[in-house]
Amino acid sequence: MGELLQVMGNRRSIRYFEPDKPVEREKVQIMLEAMNRSSRAVNADFVKAVVVYRDELEPDVLEQLKTPTTTAEIDMAPVHIFCYLDLSYTDGAQGRLKELVQLGALNPSHGWSETYVDEVVWATVLKPIASDPGILSYIGAIDAGVAINQGMLAAVDQGLGVCLHAFNTDVAKKALGIPDHWLPLHLLLVGYPAEDPLTGGQRPRRPLSSQFFMGNASTPWEEIPAVTEQLKQAGLIQNPVDAEKRRAEVRSLAQRFGLPE
Amino acid sequence: MAGTDIRNDAAVVRWFESAHLDELTPEEQTHRLALLADFCDHAGQPPGELAAGVLRTTKDGETAISAKRRTAMNTSIDEFVEKSGFTGKEAVINGNIIRSFLVHNGIFIQGRAWRG
Repeated sequence: MGELLQVMGNRRSIRYFEPDKPVEREKVQIMLEAMNRSSRAVNADFVKAVVVYRDELEPDVLEQLKTPTTTAEIDMAPVHIFCYLDLSYTDGAQGRLKELVQLGALNPSHGWSETYVDEVVWATVLKPIASDPGILSYIGAIDAGVAINQGMLAAVDQGLGVCLHAFNTDVAKKALGIPDHWLPLHLLLVGYPAEDPLTGGQRPRRPLSSQFFMGNASTPWEEIPAVTEQLKQAGLIQNPVDAEKRRAEVRSLAQRFGLPE
Repeated sequence: MAGTDIRNDAAVVRWFESAHLDELTPEEQTHRLALLADFCDHAGQPPGELAAGVLRTTKDGETAISAKRRTAMNTSIDEFVEKSGFTGKEAVINGNIIRSFLVHNGIFIQGRAWRG
């Protein structure tokens, strides 16, 4: 079992950051490249993201970005990555698909040809997607989520903490010059954790059998105990949160940062 | 209004229980109660009405937080802190003590964090 499982197991939503410990731009680039290498339909760049170093923002803009529900995190996280879905992702899709056919990534074995891309794809696949805002956004949001998750895991691999947040989209649009065709997704806060990066244990998760099925939707997946044990050894499955320990940690952090207990 | 006057208010009881404030020293508890009592004077409302005033009822009869009233409450807390002469970390802590009362009474609200 590889380190990837350990990284996935170590990921937590970090909500207390070391506010003055700088986040290296090199590590942010690693996150961005991880996002750039994600799986994606029509080889499109679904995610557009603006990286903002908190202390490089004009103070009045920083204040405007705060809302009564995101103030503390914005104060604490040194790096804010504003993530958007670029709704123009079908633009240029034919060219990118053709490139993939030429490179053999899409191939005749699976029905792909340059002729299909040239003569059929736009009218029967891409145009219907592009012309329906609901379909356009939900398909795009899936691939955007895949990309953002890779960036988050890369951050954890670099010793950083991350957490996705809602944000004041109107203020951000104006402050960051966001074009109209970028749909707001998430604010990804990044920094070194001020809390134990493992925060005392993993959050509760339901058993596989309640979410995954075998052969049909009424036959729950049966876990293979030996694999479950291997995943514990590999660090993907970790001990659950110790609530008492966590409560003490939260109180200590709240006192350090002057936050509500 | 004094801190001792509000200790048995249902919203204050809920705050103490939910935040485990009984675990704090008597001085720390007294400070929190006095601060909340002063804020009640500032706002002209008893504790229970502070939290209830940020809530609204939707068309479907559900309880929701009024974004406008929450923003107004945040502003009122900042004004209170400034008027009380608190500065620096003390200002952040004391503003967030009021927010802690609101949080434990169901109001999702945040204040700034002290960065030192």
